[in-house]
This record gives sequence, C-alpha cells and structure tokens, in this order.
Amino acid sequence: MPDLDLTPVDRIVSEIGLHPDAVIPILQAIQEEYRFLPAEALEKVCELTEITPASIAGVSTFYTHFRHRPVGRHMVSVCQGTACHVKGAGLVEDAFKHHLKLGAGVDTDASGEFTVQQVACLGCCTLGPVVQIDEGTFGYVSPQGVPRVLREFDQAERASGQAIHRPMANGNPNGVTEVRVGLGSCCLAQGSAKVHDALRETLDEIGAKGLVKQVGCTGICHRTPLVELVMGDGTTHVYSKVDPPTAREIILRHFRPRGLLRPVREAVSRWLDRFQSDEAGDVIARHATDMRETSVASFLGPQKHLAMELCDVIDPLDFEEYRRHDGFTALNKCLTGLDPEQIIEQVRVSGLRGRGGAGFPTHIKWSAVRAALGDGAPDTVKYVICNGDEGDPGAFMDRMLLESVPFRIIEGMAIAARAVGAHEAVFYIRHEYPLAVKRIRDAIRQCEERRILGKSVMGTGYALRMEVKEGAGAFICGEETALIHSIEGGRGTPRLRPPYPAESGLWEKPTLINNVETFAVIPWILRNGGSAFAEMGTATSKGTKVFALAGKIVRGGLIEVPMGVSIRRIVEDVGGGVAPGRRFKAVQIGGPSGGCVPAELADTPIDYESLAKVGAIMGSGGLVVLDDADCMVDIARYFLRFTQDQSCGKCTYCRVGTKRMLDILDRLCAGKGRKGDLEALEQLSRMVGAGSLCGLGKTAPNPVLSTLKYFRAEYEEHLKGRCPAGKCVDLIDYRINDKCIGCTICAQHCPVHAIPMTAYQRHWIDLDICTRCDTCKQVCPEDAVHVTSGPA
Amino acid sequence: MPKIVIDSREIDAEPGENIVDAAARAGIEIPTLCYLKGYDPSTSCQVCLVKDARNGRLVPACGTRVVEGMRFESETPDVHDARRVALELLLSEHVGDCRAPCDFACPCHMDIPLMLEQIHGQHLRDAIVTVKRDIALPAALGRVCPKPCEKGCRRNDADGPVAVCDLKRYVADADLASGDPYAAPCLPDSGKRIAVVGGGPSGLSAVYYLRRAGHACALFEQRPELGGRLRTEERAEDLPRDLLDAEIAQITRLGVDLHLNTAITDQPQLDSLASEFDAVVLACGVLASHGVERFGLKASRKGIDVDRETYATNRPGVFAIGNALRGKGLVVRSCADGKEVAHIVGRFAAGRKLEPASDFSSRMGKLLPGELPSLMERASPSERRVPSHGTDYDHESAIAQSIRCMECACPSHGKCKLERYSAIYGADPNRFTKERPPYELIGRNSSVVFEPGKCIKCELCIQIARRGGEPIGLSFVGRGFDVVVSVPFGRGLDEALTNVAAECVEACPTAALRFANTLRGAPDLVTLEVPGAACGANGSVPPACAVTPAGRST
Repeated sequence: MPDLDLTPVDRIVSEIGLHPDAVIPILQAIQEEYRFLPAEALEKVCELTEITPASIAGVSTFYTHFRHRPVGRHMVSVCQGTACHVKGAGLVEDAFKHHLKLGAGVDTDASGEFTVQQVACLGCCTLGPVVQIDEGTFGYVSPQGVPRVLREFDQAERASGQAIHRPMANGNPNGVTEVRVGLGSCCLAQGSAKVHDALRETLDEIGAKGLVKQVGCTGICHRTPLVELVMGDGTTHVYSKVDPPTAREIILRHFRPRGLLRPVREAVSRWLDRFQSDEAGDVIARHATDMRETSVASFLGPQKHLAMELCDVIDPLDFEEYRRHDGFTALNKCLTGLDPEQIIEQVRVSGLRGRGGAGFPTHIKWSAVRAALGDGAPDTVKYVICNGDEGDPGAFMDRMLLESVPFRIIEGMAIAARAVGAHEAVFYIRHEYPLAVKRIRDAIRQCEERRILGKSVMGTGYALRMEVKEGAGAFICGEETALIHSIEGGRGTPRLRPPYPAESGLWEKPTLINNVETFAVIPWILRNGGSAFAEMGTATSKGTKVFALAGKIVRGGLIEVPMGVSIRRIVEDVGGGVAPGRRFKAVQIGGPSGGCVPAELADTPIDYESLAKVGAIMGSGGLVVLDDADCMVDIARYFLRFTQDQSCGKCTYCRVGTKRMLDILDRLCAGKGRKGDLEALEQLSRMVGAGSLCGLGKTAPNPVLSTLKYFRAEYEEHLKGRCPAGKCVDLIDYRINDKCIGCTICAQHCPVHAIPMTAYQRHWIDLDICTRCDTCKQVCPEDAVHVTSGPA
Repeated sequence: MPKIVIDSREIDAEPGENIVDAAARAGIEIPTLCYLKGYDPSTSCQVCLVKDARNGRLVPACGTRVVEGMRFESETPDVHDARRVALELLLSEHVGDCRAPCDFACPCHMDIPLMLEQIHGQHLRDAIVTVKRDIALPAALGRVCPKPCEKGCRRNDADGPVAVCDLKRYVADADLASGDPYAAPCLPDSGKRIAVVGGGPSGLSAVYYLRRAGHACALFEQRPELGGRLRTEERAEDLPRDLLDAEIAQITRLGVDLHLNTAITDQPQLDSLASEFDAVVLACGVLASHGVERFGLKASRKGIDVDRETYATNRPGVFAIGNALRGKGLVVRSCADGKEVAHIVGRFAAGRKLEPASDFSSRMGKLLPGELPSLMERASPSERRVPSHGTDYDHESAIAQSIRCMECACPSHGKCKLERYSAIYGADPNRFTKERPPYELIGRNSSVVFEPGKCIKCELCIQIARRGGEPIGLSFVGRGFDVVVSVPFGRGLDEALTNVAAECVEACPTAALRFANTLRGAPDLVTLEVPGAACGANGSVPPACAVTPAGRST
C-alpha cells in the first residue's frame, strides 16, 4: 500500500481542535476525507492532539458510522427501520447482495464499486423499503427492482437527493403565485429535488412570474412528492406523487407565459401543445389532489398541528418568513415580559411531558436545572441540550421538525435556556440526518447574524450560544447520560442515575436535556398560554403528540393528534386502515422500547398511562401498523435484534442478557425451539428488564413480553415448526397452485433460477434452491404463488 | 452521618460512600466483580444488585451513594436470583475451565494440574498436601486404579495423556519414604462423634476426612486388620503390604477409636450405634439384599438404597458408601464416597440441610478444531513415559512428565471472584446454552497475557491504565455483546502496560489478565460463607451455608 498522504490530518486537527472532546468531530472529518479511518491517520491524530490511543480506539469502534476498512466508491445503505422491515427490507438487502455477487461476510463487490451496509432507520418510514445510495434515497424498493435502482443510480448518478437550499431573492411579493414543494427527506427520497428543479426551469423557460418555494414536511408522506400552488387570490391546488414531467405540466397549466415578446416561442408552443391536448389534462387530473378529497380530509381530520403548525407552510430557512408567522414572539415575551419562574409556571400549567418517550413532566426538569446550584452564584455554568438523536426505527418526527422548522426549535431551546439560566446550548443530532444538521447549522448562523443568538439575545443583554454536535451511529446516545458522554468525546455508554443531568450533566454542570418535539411546542405554549395547551388531551397527558404512522397502512405519514385519541381512530381514520383483503392485527407503539397492542385493544386511548397499562409505551412516537401477514415472533425478534445490536455493552444484563434472549428467538424462528423455551424467554425478559442499568436494557424486553402476552399461540406454533403468518423463511415454502397460466414471469424473475421455465404449463418451485425471497409471489399476475408453513 | 438500612440492619454510613463500602464496614458482604475501591464504579457486572425497598427497584450497590433513609434488601430470594442470573449470564460467555477435565474425570476430583505444577517446582511436600486434600489413599490407588483421570486428559487426543496416576504414586511414595510423612491438620474438635462401619477404602477415607473436619471417629472393622478389599482382593506384588500399612497409619494417626474384629451386621447393633453416635456411616462392603434387610434398611438392586447426592439411607442419621451401595465399584470411587460423605455427615451433625459441597466449575466442553494444538503450545512436547511395573520415576523423569500438562485448569482457580460467587449463589454455568467462542490467548510472548474468553468487561484494567498514565494503555473496542478489551493500534500487552501491569493483574476479577508465568500455589483452605444472613440457592433460607470454592471438603 502506498504511503498515505497524512497532510489532511494536520489540517483537520488545526481546524477542529486538540482537546480530548474533539475526537468525534475529528474522526468524522477524517472519514469524510479518506472514506474510512486509516490506522496511520488515527496514530497521527494521537501525536498531534491530547487525544489518547485508548480514547481513539474506544470511540472509533463504538460508533457504527466509523469504518476501519476501505469501502467501495458508493455506499448502498439498506434501511433497517421497522416499517422497512415489515415491508421486506431483508429481502431487498439479500437482492442487492445477490445482484452484486457478494459472498458471505463480504460487503463490497469485486469491482470496488458498491459497498452494501445496513443502516438504522433513515426516517422515511412511509416509503419502505428504503435504500440510500450515497446521498440519494430510493423509496418502495422491491427485490426485483434492485437492478433498476442500480441502473438508475448509474445513469449519471442523477438520483442525487442532495438538498440544495436556494435562498429566495426577496420575500413573497403580494399577489404572486407560490409553488410550494416539500423538500423533507421523504419527499427527496421520492425525487422532489428533481421536481423542484423542473418547476423552476419551466417557470424560467416561459418567463412566468411565480415563486417556487421549498417547504418542510407536509406529513402526507404517502403521496410524496407533493406540490402545492397558492394562487394570488389565496386558493390552493395540491398535486401529489409528482414527477418532473408532471411538474412541467402543472406550471404550464397554471402560468401564462409572460409577454409574447420574450424569446420563449418554443416554450410557448410546447405549453400550448400540452395544455390543449387531452393527454396533458389526464396527467394533471391524475395527480391533482383536492384537499377536500375524502382521503386527505380523513388523514388531516383528526389531526391538530401544534408542533407541526408551520411545517408545510414556510420555507425552513427563511428567517423573515418565520418572523412573519409569529416567530420569536414567544422568545421576546420570555426575555422582556416574563421572568424565568413565570416561564416555568406556564410550562407547568400546560402539563407538558417530555416527548422523548418517558413522559417526565417538563416543568419539573426545568425547575430542577434552574434550582441547581441556585446558591446565588450568577456565573454558574449550565447547559441546555436538544436531544435530536432520534434512533427508534420507525420514528422520524424529530428529523421532520429539525428539517422543517429549525427556527422554531431554536426558539424553544432559547426559551428553555432563559428559564433555567443557561448560556450554552447544544444540538445533538444523529449523523443519519445530514439535512437536519445542515439546516440547523444554517438557522443558527442566521440567528447569530440577526442577534437572536449571541452576546445579547434580541438586544436584552442575555447571552446565548448554540452549537451542533453530530452523532455517529449509536442508538444508545438517545439516553441522556450516554448522549452527554458522546458530546464529551467518549464512548456513548450510559451511567447510573442519580445524579441526574439536572444536577451533574455535561462537563458535570447542571444540564437540561429535552427532546426536539418538546422544544417545538414550547413557543406555541408561551405564545398561546399553558392553559390553551392543557385544554387538549386527557387528564394526565396534555396537548398533542406527533406520530410517525407507517407499516401496513393505506395512508402513512407524519401526524399530530391530540392526546387521548384512540389507536383505532389513528389506524382507521387517519391511516385509512390496512390494505384491502388484509386484517388489522396489531400496532407496534414506541419502537424497540414499546410493545405490540393487539387489534382487540385498539380502543385504547393514546396517553402515557393507558399505553403503559397495555404493555406499550408512548416512546418517541413510532406507530407501525401490522396486518395478518406479519409474524409477531419475527417482530419481537426484529426489535430485540435491534436493541441487542445497539446495546452499549456495559452492563451484564443488557450485554449478555439480550443476546441470550435473541438466541432463543432465533431458535424459534428457525424452527429449532425447545420445550421450555417460552418460559425461559419470559423469565429472562423479566430479569433483563429488572436488572439492566439504563432505559435501553430495561425496556428492551417490552416487545417480547407484549407479544408473548397477546400472541402466545403464535409462539407455540413456532415451537411446532410453523409460522402462521408465513414470514419466517426457515419455516415456509413457496408453492405454485393451479391458478398458474404458465406465463413464465416468475421463472424470469427468480434470482436463483429455482423455477424451471415451462411456458404454458403450471410452474413449480425447486424448494432446495428457493431462497424464499418472495419475488415470484410479488410478480405473479395471477396470484398463483402461495406460502405454506409447517410439517407438510 | 447518613443512616441506611440493609436487611433491617441499621448502618451508619460515611457521607458520599457507596452501598458496597457502607455494608462492608458493617460486616455485610455484597458481592461484586467489577468494583474496586478507589476507582469509579463501572456498574457493569450487576452482581452487586440490591433491592431498593422503597420502590422495589434493583440497583447496583457499587454505584449507589448513600442517602439518609435509604433501605435495601440484600439477602432475599429476589436479590439472590438477580445476582445468580447475572453470574449465569457472565458464565454463558465464559471460555474456560475452572477445573481441568482430568480433575472432573477423577471421581475424587483431585486438583491434578496443581499437583503437577508442584512436582515441576520440586515442592513434593506441597504436592502431597494437594493430593491428600482429595485422596486419602494415594499410594494404594497409584497401584490399583484404572486411571479414569488419564482418560479425561485432553492430551489423550494427541500424543497420550499425562501420566497422572503414576505421578501421584510418585508423590505418595516419596512422602511415605521421607521419614516424616505428611500429617494432615485437623480442625478443632467439633464435639460430634461419628461411627464408621468398615475399614476398607471407603471407610478409611470417610474416617480421614471426618477427622480432618474435627469430628471424633470410631471405626468398626470385622477383620483383625484394616484395608478391606485392598488387602483381600489385591495381590501383594501389585500392592506391597508394608506400603499399605504405612498409608493406613497416616489415617489412624489422626486419632481414631479403633474397634477391630468387631462385626456390625444387624439392626440392634445399628440401633445402639445410632443412639451412641451423632451419625453412622456404613462402609461395610458388598451386601446381599438380606444383609441390607438385617440392618432394617431399604435395599436397592446393588445394596443399600441411598439418596444419590447425600448418601443418606432411609434411616435418618445413617449413611452408606462404597460397595455397600454399589456392589462392585472402583476403589477410587469408594475413596471419593468417603470424602463426600464426610462433608454430608458434617452438615447433618451440625443440623444443616444435606447437600453436597458445591462442585461448581465453568467448563469449556469439547474442544473446537484447532484448539488442541494451541493449548499444547504451553506444554512440554516430550513424550509420555510410564515406569515399568514395580519401578518408579526418578526425579528428573517425574518432572519431565509433569510438564507435559497443558494446564487446562484456570490459573485463578480458588481465587477467582466469578468462581467464588458462582459457587456461593449456586449459579448454573449451563443455564443459558450458547455457542462457545473459540479459546484465545493474547500475548504468548509477553510477560502479561490476556484471555478474552475470561474477561467480564469490568473496565478495571482500562481505568487503572488510564489513571496510571500509560501512553498506550487499554481500551474497549467495539460495543455491545462484541465489546472486547484490546490494546490500541494493535500493539502488544507489554507496550500497553509499562508500569501498572501488576496492578491490573491484581485487580482482574478472573484470570483474563495475568502474568504469563503465573503459578497457582496452594489455594487457602477457605470456607466460604454466603454473605450476610444467608439464603439458599433455591430461595430457601438455610443457616450460613458453607461451601468450598470447588467442592473440596476442608
């Protein structure tokens, strides 16, 4: 191997710093430079900085983002989120490996072109299965669609989902039609960047006066990309599932070329052609979405947008627009009209509880931090941290909020800082959310420029500095003490509480840590009053809660509903129920710490206590709907595999206990269960819950315990070697029945040639070759492929 | 000073100290593997769990600081269950044998690797101490035993087992020939009197270990001489009688009330022994069923019917061992019965629950492909040689043969905290079945070696190296189940630990980190008490249950 050029290391170190806590940013920069972490570079870092070899070895191997081996030119990241899992992400991953001819234990193809890796939830849950290739995101990927995805990526790599923020020249001149296009990660995954470009180009081409504006997440993720036109007179037109050609049609339909003197004859003629042809009308009609249309009305009907109120309205990074929408009025009020006690009083009255999952009353946390070292020392250093390490597979509301309303989160944090007496605030955002990181950084910069942050916030003399720290791929860093260790440049291992961060947090100083969504509703509460918030919800759970609704559902997306609404209302009214012909089986609420609530208990209201009573938790708000094709043992195993993989490895119960639980579940799913396994699993689950040190381990058994409780019969079937849902590949066979017309489509698509090509005759599957990839079933036009399970 | 309560005992704690330390000062031992006073509690092993009586939550005692009014449960079935499961989880990923396979194959469970090490070190006096801790008649057994130990030797699968039995005879003969044979120390008089019926190998063994435990013994033998089947069934050219006499004399010298030419054969006699003594051990050799009936005891197909674990007959206070229950068993088995019954009878006499001494051991089980050569690297490559019939090893050849041992037993056996607490809490090393990771030894050529399979990830060595300012030091690598302790940048252990190696080795709760040339030395003959008020493995609450670290009677 030729000598590595280490000069970039000097540059990186001089830019980032020499202190031990610089280790994670330095590693990130080195990986950016070399695409992995060459050992020589790491040794060089130790020579140049105060970072020790032990620290760099420990940290660089703790976070999964860091790679110690060279990788292919392009990274194929297959999302392992819950929604993607239930929609067959495993089969998609296998298809990539098969297509790229990767042997066991090999992640990079022979040509060094692609490296396939698993990635924790990408937060595009409604589009599952989702695959990211470099910066480009692909939704609805199927195993048989893999070659197409790679081909599309290859074609000039134009699937680049890089979000390029194009600042608008000036505000919205009155009367000009606004063309809003969602540029959240979900929309981008569906190609909204291309739509955005097409809209602009078409407007430029015909020289029409219109304003193409990027907005955040609309929440209607199942119809993305979404384009909304707000006409000069205030009327709106919404188009869903728009592609670039349709985008052109939309512009051509709603805008007239500006003056015939402009040299746009070609464009005009095209406009006339298309507009006057029936074909164009059809295209437009297909994509037009009337907000009054039943499905959208139902989707939005039960919702109440507080945290999300500006998400689909404003340009995320348009400071002035945020101000026009009452932005920073709450902060102003808190700086000039209310003293810190009064701020906390409003939060108390609101009844707000932490939206990160545990539901701890927010005002108590705030009061504790405010009171910490409250011995009159005015220079007591305190910190406020925004926990943006949203790692639950199946939850993406924090990403959406950070991407869509960055100023709003900053305002909420600033209010919190003011209330507790902190002058330093830190955003901790996971690196899988590059767009969120970028927008928050940009928004902080704008706030500094406009004196919203800095030495004198809004001219009041109150100082507040904000910075962004990026995670590096560790779910456990969502735990507050682990998060603090990570910011301090350590391995993200939690520690025993007490002491709580309110007493001894970042750098052992009093620290307030709240979740993104919590901060997002703070400005609303301070603007409208705590009691307005408390009017919504139930006796103990006030206000609204944002959920990521995904899985086996007709209308997925990001929703915000008042507390107390029933699960059934969400699944059936908002989500439109499961697909026709399928049976609603359960909802998984709260991700890997949560549980599965069976359909029979769907009338359970969504509030902290009711959910706990049925064995689930509010969690961060992932809500994955499962139907009768989902195997509950597989679901339990999926979540346990996640937590087991994400365990920091500190305490015995979690490190080894979750592994032993997984051993049993693996056995069950492989048809190798033994007598006594269910009892052993149940017992061990309880012990892991009781004996683990932090929340991750304590709640890891929940998905297992709740499925054992409500779906024990399914477990017992697995003990007998049957998977009733037909999901566990070791327990199922694919067969072709007499509906087969001999069309050969399945044989053509079978990646392992397990189906002999017998045209016009009933096909059959060689079960010894078949890998149970489900492709034949998906491509069969006659529904002639079915799954059997159990001893034949 | 904050007051806290542990198991309804009020304790004055020092402000700022943790529960482990506060309890320790009050004489309550809370078990812990990962905590070392003076270092940050890593709260990782979770063996020190106690229950917060106020909310029912389990918390690690090492990481919990005292606050006035705290109340904890430590010696309750729930807490013991939690500790045991933590130990069982650690054992489920433990790659190592506390005791060697040969030790297990030997019915007497002699600590063979230790004896071999002592022969190698030319400490023959120590070697006989080791031998006699488990075998009362080694010179005789060295001549008549079919050597099950050697069948257990891992080297059996390569170039032949270590000549364990011949080496044991070498040790025993050398002791008898020394002019000052080893006289085992006896514990102070327990005040209990035990009658043993039959002076064969099982009866002699029982007497030997009962005496060592401090019990008075009366031995009844129907013949004019002791030795039983060793005298009646073995040829004098195989087992010279002067040697047998000399070895038996080492037993009787401990003080035995001998009744030769006294046959005990019927129930009235048994009744009178039972009334006169605290317990009776029947070691009278093969009995036909009518012989058993004459004692008024329940018979089995082969002799007296007993509980397999405790040797208890259907008559309380009467125990049976050796061929009296087995009909035809190996002599070494009879010797083992004698040793084991001594432990049981001691418990019976003390009014405690009858249970065998803990024979806890983590076990590696079958070797994986490639592991045997790797294990053999640490042993001498010399060939197996055994002395021809009637001759013995000379000094040099005994040493040469002893160093063929691959040292399968753990160097920390007897001092390992994981082993100690697993024995105390009755942890089952096989409760959680697993696929064992391969055996691995890092640093073969350095002064410090590391066995990842024995590491419990307690973080102590990492902390010590960091505080000691080691330039390279140690760190965790990876995370979760796959986390391992490792030297950064692929450096060697000697480079990692330049000045705190001894401290790290001392702190390691298992044998994961140790000096390459660790000699085990004779472990203390300790009796372990369950910390605190004691509570049995299955949740019952026996009085302080004494167990020895590896099933050895004391």
